[in-house]
This record gives sequence, structure tokens and C-alpha cells, in this order.
Amino acid sequence: MNEAKPTDAIATIDIDATLRLEDLVDREALVELCDSFFTLFGIPVRVLSKDGTLLADATREQEVCGYINTFASGRAACGATVGAVKIKDPDEEGTLIHPCFSGLQYRIVAIDYEARRIGRFILGPYLPAEVSDVPSSLLDIDEAVDREKAKSLLFKVPRAKPETVQRVARHLKAALDLILFSGHKTLLTSQMHLVSVRESFRELTERQNRLQEAYDRLRELDRLKSNFLATVSHELRTPLTSIIGYGEMLAEGIAGPLNDEQKEFVGTIREKGEQLLQLIQSLLDMSKLESGTMSVRKEKIRLEDVLSEVVKTLTPNARKKGVVLRLECDASLPGLRADPERLRQVFINLGDNAIKFTPSGGTVTYRATPLEQGRVGRESDFGFALLAPSRSQLEVRVIDTGIGIPLAEREKVFDPFYQVDSSSTREYGGTGLGLSIVKRLVEAHDGTIHVEEGSPRGAVFVVTLPVAGSAEAG
Amino acid sequence: MQLNFAGREITIKLVYYGPALSGKTTNLRALHELTADDSHGRLMTLETRDDRTLFFDMLPLLFRAGDAPRKPGDRSYTPVDPTMGMSLRIKVFTVPGQVLHGATRRLVLQGADGVAFIADSQLTETENNAASFLDLRSNLKELNVSVKEMPIVIQFNKRDLPNIRTDEEIKKLAQQGREPVFRASALTGEGVIESFFGLLNLTWSKLEAEHQLSRIIGIEPQEFVPVAARKMGIKREVSVMLQSCLGGNLQYKPVEKA
Repeated sequence: MNEAKPTDAIATIDIDATLRLEDLVDREALVELCDSFFTLFGIPVRVLSKDGTLLADATREQEVCGYINTFASGRAACGATVGAVKIKDPDEEGTLIHPCFSGLQYRIVAIDYEARRIGRFILGPYLPAEVSDVPSSLLDIDEAVDREKAKSLLFKVPRAKPETVQRVARHLKAALDLILFSGHKTLLTSQMHLVSVRESFRELTERQNRLQEAYDRLRELDRLKSNFLATVSHELRTPLTSIIGYGEMLAEGIAGPLNDEQKEFVGTIREKGEQLLQLIQSLLDMSKLESGTMSVRKEKIRLEDVLSEVVKTLTPNARKKGVVLRLECDASLPGLRADPERLRQVFINLGDNAIKFTPSGGTVTYRATPLEQGRVGRESDFGFALLAPSRSQLEVRVIDTGIGIPLAEREKVFDPFYQVDSSSTREYGGTGLGLSIVKRLVEAHDGTIHVEEGSPRGAVFVVTLPVAGSAEAG
Repeated sequence: MQLNFAGREITIKLVYYGPALSGKTTNLRALHELTADDSHGRLMTLETRDDRTLFFDMLPLLFRAGDAPRKPGDRSYTPVDPTMGMSLRIKVFTVPGQVLHGATRRLVLQGADGVAFIADSQLTETENNAASFLDLRSNLKELNVSVKEMPIVIQFNKRDLPNIRTDEEIKKLAQQGREPVFRASALTGEGVIESFFGLLNLTWSKLEAEHQLSRIIGIEPQEFVPVAARKMGIKREVSVMLQSCLGGNLQYKPVEKA
């Protein structure tokens, strides 16, 4: 897994950064806007950024300008005027009128945003309404200038009153202002989005690191606990084995004959000793399972063999209690890859429990059947159509006719040390470790276990195990 | 605070903080409404569809300062260029109040010069007010700013609602506390200007103490806030407005560092 690189610095954003006109507007859209102003009012429009870059240009060469440009001195004068217009920046007032020697005019208007100058636009050239004749400055550029031609061409340029130009400028300014505001808002929103995500990520990473540390610490504690349990169980078992061994020797009369009462006492000592040993063995199994050191040696086995051995082992116990023990194995049971020793442990434990909770006259049944292909798992499982055909499982049901397990308890019975009846005066003994060990052993075989209700009464423990060669058999 | 000598501008950042739905955005709307049009830009709100602030609201207040009349021969301060003055930008932000926007709150709070804490006067909101203030404190701490060093004014908003903390109670609390306390009904605009100038006064006194801003701007120290008020089109005298403060200290006092 790739570990996310922790970002330790708090993300920053400069909400008051200096804005650039070219960052706030879309150039093509700006050109369209200028074009529409030009079409509407006939006055050419140019938009320049703060440093003088031309951002949009909606203009057409006027015939009079073309005429002037046919004269060398006219070309020079025209170039000088256009150059001056392009570099002039209106002062505080925000508007500047620049006259051309031809009598035409330019209006240069500042584009400010949040009281900062970010660019300007140029309206013109246009012919001021008050001009009634060709000015001498135009005629002076060359002796060859034809007065009448110049006049007719000059008067083809759109004429505009100062108020009109001012109004056009105001409209354009308002339109630009709206665009700038929207652009700024969008810019800030996207920046905030980005930085907020980064900041949230930083915060989460920090929190995750703290959780990971806590988790590691807990895991270490858990490991220590399991180690402790394993050590203590082992240390308890050693002297206990001696106690049981010497008890056996006493019972066999190696140290001299015993009277009946002594035999009975020694018998009790041995029986309780065995019980204690079993409990310690369970604790040891539990801690091994928890620490992951329990080894499961899988080999090819036949489930029928395991189950008949289990039944054989449990028969004396069942007979003593007056419970009938039955084994029903489907003839077509497939082979398994499993640890026979561990499976025996699972089914002895389940059978032992079933016999314990079944009153005299009842039955305990082991029923092993293969599960139909494609019926394994639920339809809602992911990739069902692909996985189901490759899954092949068998199922063992341990059915008793005992007191049953209330619905609410059916999950909890697999928790370590859990007892349905946890009162000190409870009828049935046990450590409460058996089923949790069973569950872990079944899971170690990639199987599942759950409890169902018996019919008409009792409990049914259902164990499913993957068949050898199926996709989920390890 | 950002000082740009070349651009001749000073930018001060004020942040309106507080629990969800306490009226931060409403304060900004009222401020926008009640100040002269040529002294502010558009109110920018970045909100979700249900009218809750998503990232922040921002109101830029923009005017020139430093062209205040001076007595001839007055040498008590040396402006950089007495003829020009500086352009002053006060950017007022709100944070999103909802708990889940913690990261955004911290981002908006970055570089704040002063904070107006907008509390909800309703008794049921007492816990939310306190939680939001603790959130402010921890966010400031993450930004390496001590809450003691941050100019903060408290506004008890929604005075027009029933079931609110009474004036007497607030007054009593205000007089024991450090932060100046104002009352407001932002929806009607009442108390909004007073709270704002309370914050500007406190923030200015800190900036002045730390950077001698008045020299840079070219203005008498005590003239700054009244000039700002005039530029913003506020007719009332600042000193009169500040009298509505219920307690706390309107002048910044540097914290003694141990």
C-alpha cells in the first residue's frame, strides 16, 4: 500500500493577491464583447492589460486613415499617434481623451478592480460631433493632400457626441466590471476548493497518523497479552500434568492399595484435573489463534472419516446422558483440504455442546451435504455471476433437540468467554471459550459458521467448508 | 496586514467568526448597505444552494486615507509623501459557521488582523457560541497566533428575538471580560456599524502600536478611525458610536510575554 505522504504545513491561500486582467477574463469572449460594442456603436474598441498587452481588438481601418497612410509623413504621424494612445494610462480620474492630428479622437478609459488599476480600454478613433471641417493639422502633413477627398473620407468616420462616447465607455466598463467580478468569484471559489481539500487532507492525515500510532500501541499490548496467556497456560500445564500423573499412579495402586473412599477421592482429583487441563488447553489454543501462531496443516481428507471418528469419540458420553447420536453423510461428499486434527476439534466441541444442552431422550445429528454449485453465497454479493460457479462448498449441520439459542444471542455465542446464561448458578458448565475457538478454526479453513433455529426446537450449528480445488479453498 | 509601498496601499483583513447561523453574512450585508457606495466594492458571497456560506463572504472597503488636513508646521509625524496619501483596503471576511468546514475557517482566518465574533443571543445557543469560540482559539493556535494577541470584539446578535440573554446579563459579562462587547440586530442593521468600528478601532490601535502605521499613511494616529468613518459615509461621530460598547477594552494592550 502506498502511504500518503504527510503534509505538515498548513495550506495557504492569498485571498488578496494582486489580480491580472488576463487571468480574470476569457480572451475569446472578450473579443466577442468588443466586437458587439463595435457593431452596436460603430466605435472601435481595444482592451489592453496593465502592462500594455493587447487583449482584444475590434477595429477596422478607416478609409481616411488609409488615405493618410499613402503619404510618408502621414504614416509617421499616424504611427506616432497610435503609439501614444497605446502607452497612455489615464490618471486617477480614469479617463483620458487623446486627439489625432486628423481631427479624430481616442478615449482611453481605465479598468480598475477593487481600487487597483488592472488595464484600460481605448475607444476610437471616432469623429467628434463638433468637427465641421478638415483641420489644418491634417492638410499640413503633405502638400499633395486633396482637401475634398480628405473631407469626404473624414466624414465617413462614425461621428459621436462626447456624451455618447462617455455613455458607451460607461456601458463597456459596467459589462467588464461584471465579468471581472464573476471571474474573480470563480477564481476564488476554485482556489478555495483546492486549498480546502488540501487542508482537509492534511488534517485527516494527521488524525490518521495519530490513530495508526494508537492502533500500533494497542496491537503491541494485545500481542503481549497473548504471549502472557500462552506462557501462563504453559506454566500451569506443567505442574498439572504431574498432579494428574501422580493421581493416576495412586489410582493404579502403585503406592499401595487404596480403599473405596480413597479411590473415589483420587478419581475426583483426576477428573477435575483433566477438566482444568482442558480449560488450560483451550486458553492456549485461544492465545495461539489470536497471536496467529496456531498452525493449520491442510491435507486431502474425507469428511466422512473425520465425522465417524468424532461420533465414535462422543458415543459413550451421549449414551451416559441418554441422547441418541446420529451421523448422516451424503454419498457424494467431495474431498476436502483441511487439518483433520483441527476439524475433529471443531466437531467434537459442537457435538459436546449439543449433547450438554439436549435433555435425555433427545437426539444429536451430524448431517453432511455438498452445497449445490451456484447456490453458495448471496445474489447480492459482488461479482456473484463470476464467483459463484467457481465456489464449491459442503455443509455440516450439527442439529440438537435441546433448549435452543435465543435469536439475540446467536452472534454473541462465538465471542470468547461469552455464556448465554452467565449467572453463577447456571445449569451448564464450561469456560465459554469452546465456540470462539471453533469459529476461529473454521475461519482458518476459509469456512463459515452460524446458528439457526432447530425444528421443532433446539439449535442447529451450520459449518460450511470450501471443497478442495474450489476458488476459495486455500 | 499587507503593506505595499510601490502600490501605495495598505490592506487590513478583518474576519467575522462565530457559530452557524449567528448572522455573520447578515452583518456583512448590512455593512454593505449602510456604507457609501463609493467606499466599497461588491459583496462577494460564496454560498451553497441553501444560503449557507460555503467558503466565505467578502466585502472590500476601499478608500484613500492620509489626505486629512494638517496644521501648518506640524512635525509630529512624517508621512512618506504627504501629497499622495495611501489607498486603504479593508477586506472583511466571514467564515462558514458549520462545524464541518473547519479547514476552510482556518484558511480564511490566516493573516487576519482582527476578529469580530458574532454570537447568537438566544439562550439555546449558549453552548454553540462557546464551542465556536474554542474553535476560533484552536484554529488561531494552529496558525501560531495566540488568542491574546488577536484583536477580538464580541457582538451579541439577534437582539430582536425572544428568549435571549438580557442586556443586564451581557453588560455584567462584558465588564468582567477583556473583549469589547456590542449588541446588534444585523437583520435591521442595528449595531452593525458600531461593532465594525469597535473592531477597526481595536485593530488599528494594535497595528499602530506595532507598525506606526499613521506615519506611513500620513495621518494623526487618533484621526484614522474617524477619517475611515467619514470616507465610508458614516454621519455619526465614532466616539459616540463606541459608547455603545458594553465593556472590555477598545484599545489594544500588548500582552506581557513571560
